[in-house]
Amino acid sequence: MLRRTKTHVAILCFLLWLPLTRVMAQDWIKTGTNRGAPIRLAVPDFKPTGTDAQNDPLLSVFNQTLWSDLDNAGIFEMVAKSFYPLQSPSTPNEMKLDAWGNPPVNAAMVAFGNLGVAAGKVDVQGWLYDAKNPSFPQVLGKQYKEDATPDNARLIAHRFADEIIFRLGGGIPGIAESRIYFVSNRSGNKEIWSMDYDGANQKQLTKHGDIALSPRISPDGSRLAFSGLTKDSWQIMMFSLDLGRTVAFPRNSGDNFSPAWSSDGAKIAFSSTMHSGLSEIFIADASGAGARRLSTGKGDVSPVFNPKTNGQIAWVSGRTGLPQIYVMDADGSNVQRMTDQGYAVSPAWSPNGLLLAFAWVRNYGPGILGGADIYLMDIASRQIVQLTHDGGRNDFPSWSPDGRHIVFQSNRSGTEQVWSVLADGTHLTQLTRQGRNSQPNWSFK
Amino acid sequence: MAYVRANLFYEREQWRKPLLLSVGFHGLLVLAIVGLGYVMQPRATSNWGMKEGEAVSAELVNSASIPLPHPEETKSIVATENKGVTQTLPQPKPVETEDGISIKGKVTPPKHIDKPVPPAHVTPHPLPTPVDTAVPYGEGGPVSGPYGSFSTASAKGGFSFQNADFGSRFSWYVQNVNRVVSAHWYQVEVDPRVTNAKRVYLTFDIDRSGKPSNIQFEQRSDIPSLDLSAMRALQRIDTFGPLPPDYRGDKVSVEFWFDFHK
Amino acid sequence: MNNSKSIRIFVLGVLFLLMVASGCKKKENPPPPPPPPKAPTATLSANPSSIQAGQSATLTWSTENATDVALDGNKVDPSGSQTVSPAQTTTYHLTAKGAGGTQEATAQVSVAPKPTPTPTPAPTPPPITDEQLFAQMVKDIYFDYDKAELRPDAQQALAQAAQIIKQKGWRVQIEGNADERGSTEYNLALGERRADSAKQALIQGGVSPDALKTISYGKEKPVCNESNEDCWQRNRRDHFTLLH
Repeated sequence: MLRRTKTHVAILCFLLWLPLTRVMAQDWIKTGTNRGAPIRLAVPDFKPTGTDAQNDPLLSVFNQTLWSDLDNAGIFEMVAKSFYPLQSPSTPNEMKLDAWGNPPVNAAMVAFGNLGVAAGKVDVQGWLYDAKNPSFPQVLGKQYKEDATPDNARLIAHRFADEIIFRLGGGIPGIAESRIYFVSNRSGNKEIWSMDYDGANQKQLTKHGDIALSPRISPDGSRLAFSGLTKDSWQIMMFSLDLGRTVAFPRNSGDNFSPAWSSDGAKIAFSSTMHSGLSEIFIADASGAGARRLSTGKGDVSPVFNPKTNGQIAWVSGRTGLPQIYVMDADGSNVQRMTDQGYAVSPAWSPNGLLLAFAWVRNYGPGILGGADIYLMDIASRQIVQLTHDGGRNDFPSWSPDGRHIVFQSNRSGTEQVWSVLADGTHLTQLTRQGRNSQPNWSFK
Repeated sequence: MAYVRANLFYEREQWRKPLLLSVGFHGLLVLAIVGLGYVMQPRATSNWGMKEGEAVSAELVNSASIPLPHPEETKSIVATENKGVTQTLPQPKPVETEDGISIKGKVTPPKHIDKPVPPAHVTPHPLPTPVDTAVPYGEGGPVSGPYGSFSTASAKGGFSFQNADFGSRFSWYVQNVNRVVSAHWYQVEVDPRVTNAKRVYLTFDIDRSGKPSNIQFEQRSDIPSLDLSAMRALQRIDTFGPLPPDYRGDKVSVEFWFDFHK
Repeated sequence: MNNSKSIRIFVLGVLFLLMVASGCKKKENPPPPPPPPKAPTATLSANPSSIQAGQSATLTWSTENATDVALDGNKVDPSGSQTVSPAQTTTYHLTAKGAGGTQEATAQVSVAPKPTPTPTPAPTPPPITDEQLFAQMVKDIYFDYDKAELRPDAQQALAQAAQIIKQKGWRVQIEGNADERGSTEYNLALGERRADSAKQALIQGGVSPDALKTISYGKEKPVCNESNEDCWQRNRRDHFTLLH
């Protein structure tokens, strides 16, 4: 960074070097994972309006979902409900800010409101108040109206939570409506499934009939690329979420797998043996046309674009023996090796382009029973921190669109399942339980 | 005379060799130390995650605001009901005072280049406040002056928005700007020799979409590394989040200052 | 005078006895040092020690004074047995660790290739089908951990297989596989390399490239599911199928 040329400065520099590297790690983690100081947020249960029979069940779903979305956002310190005043407000008239802004609650922000069902529609009003600014407390006031179903109650909660997160989280949208795509074998063979970001609404998408792997959703969310095994080869296939079936996509000779989208939706990178019989990285248009070879590694797989610039691709290569992570420019030039030991696979680039998450077995050898953990690397400084610790095999990290969460597969519960975690290692949550589930991919928005 | 001159020459020559030797030795010493520092720099990972719980350490991240009493309704542009929200470690917080303008932070961006506020302008009524930055988040009061602030272990920063009403009306947005800048500021970029620095002022605009632009130095601190780290913090930021919908303007201008004290 | 002298002698004598006695006591008092922990012992045997390909052998082991016993890296009971079916000659290692140290034992299972069945003396032996011949002559070959290079025995086997493939004009699909450890996508690429190694060897043996097709199944089609070295070795293979 700075050039130090004076003698006494050089001495100081040496003495301070060691503690500084730790400080540096915290700096880039802060920025790379969009962390700021947590905001104390109070979210009393929304109150019912009216006396419709559906009020209670929908209210319950709504309140649970809202709390869970805000708790998992990664930017709030949720004030426990046991501290709340007995009377919680359902409209601004009922809001007494000093009860909320002072101890014991001591919240910086309060979200409150009401929900009522009438004539088959559920009507929700929600406010976000700045508890420390009684003169101008209102930050947000929103109203939602949908058909009265539990799914819609959940949807409204997601929307309201996202609105709050967007306002208070430095302009980064919340992820409550994002989806995760993954491989599951619970239908008999491996197919591609999808679910909400919190594990709800799991459903099967592809009906390929044979092994389907490596789902990757397009940036606009309309199409899902995956690699499917056919009678004689692996091919990149395209599933249309609008149509509910696969659509035409060019076949290539050889075996083609591990597709990846550029964040502008214009290009797809993938691994193919079409040229040499060994796996190399290719790039093509989103329609599959114009496939060009980028790498010559003889064992190159798992490409992923830098979503911020689309000017770089990270991938895995076994060219030196055990697999390692490499980065190159999107035209194939300027190849750099990022890891230098162990068994490193599954790179995932953070949305702001600053970090690479990957799965790594640092000491890998024949007798050593595999234990791979997820690590985060700051690309600029090459510094690495370990994200998972508790053993087992952890693989296929994928970043959330807000850059604060990571979803990955782990066998720590006994079978392969999909888990999510905040990028600081907290809020570890199991998302799937049935069958064996792997290779999760978080949507772009 | 010739003899005297010869003496002078002789004197000078005497200096040269030992001087060269000294410089050479010091140079080698520098190289050795820097080399050692480089070699011994730990490359490997540091453990982060569950073992450390909330790993983002409070000492680096700002405190969103400082405890403030509830401000009374004020129509005055100065909004001095609020104490100056910034504090430096040795200096107690200034209390409400009629000459509120002199509280750190500004209502209008100063046009003059010389220091608008003398650094030792501790206002005469100290109020008991937590001395260091261990203010629990969210316990700070509203920034209902036109300014916000943040502080880290060794630096304090403050904002004032050109439109004084903005801060009182949308204090949550000001705090938001706080958090984003603090999260993007790399303390390590500042020369570790620095213990005290003259305040550095920057200005920038935030457009409706939240994008910062027009980042400029209004007044430098004379410490290049501090100036640069402040500028870089702002340059790293893509967005602060859209301006509040109730705000009518196209943009807000923000004056942002840094105090660095170790 | 005499009295004082005798008293002195008496006192001295008592003192002397006391010293001796306490000395004796001292000799008895300190407890004997604890005996050094016994070193662990370990024995490992294979029965039978020589089998044909496809048969099984039983490994039997016993240990003493060991707290931590592992067979080829897998924790096992201090005494026990296990059935194994190695595809080729394998040496198994037993490691017994205890307070007194570490002891290793090995046992080897030699695998002789299946002798070709002698033709039955029936007057009209049923003609052998292509499928059966193929299965006999073009067998799975196995790879080392994370490697795609052919082992010497595999090279030999492929050289022989090349002859019959050429002669019969067969078209062959080579399927590369990997063991369950390691990552799904990378194992697909590794399987490709393994299939390609076999393909190159067969081409060197004279087979036309057009007659050969490669594919990788990575770790998606294992032949066994246990998490031990035996099963992993069986999965690190190229499998050959006859194409029609």
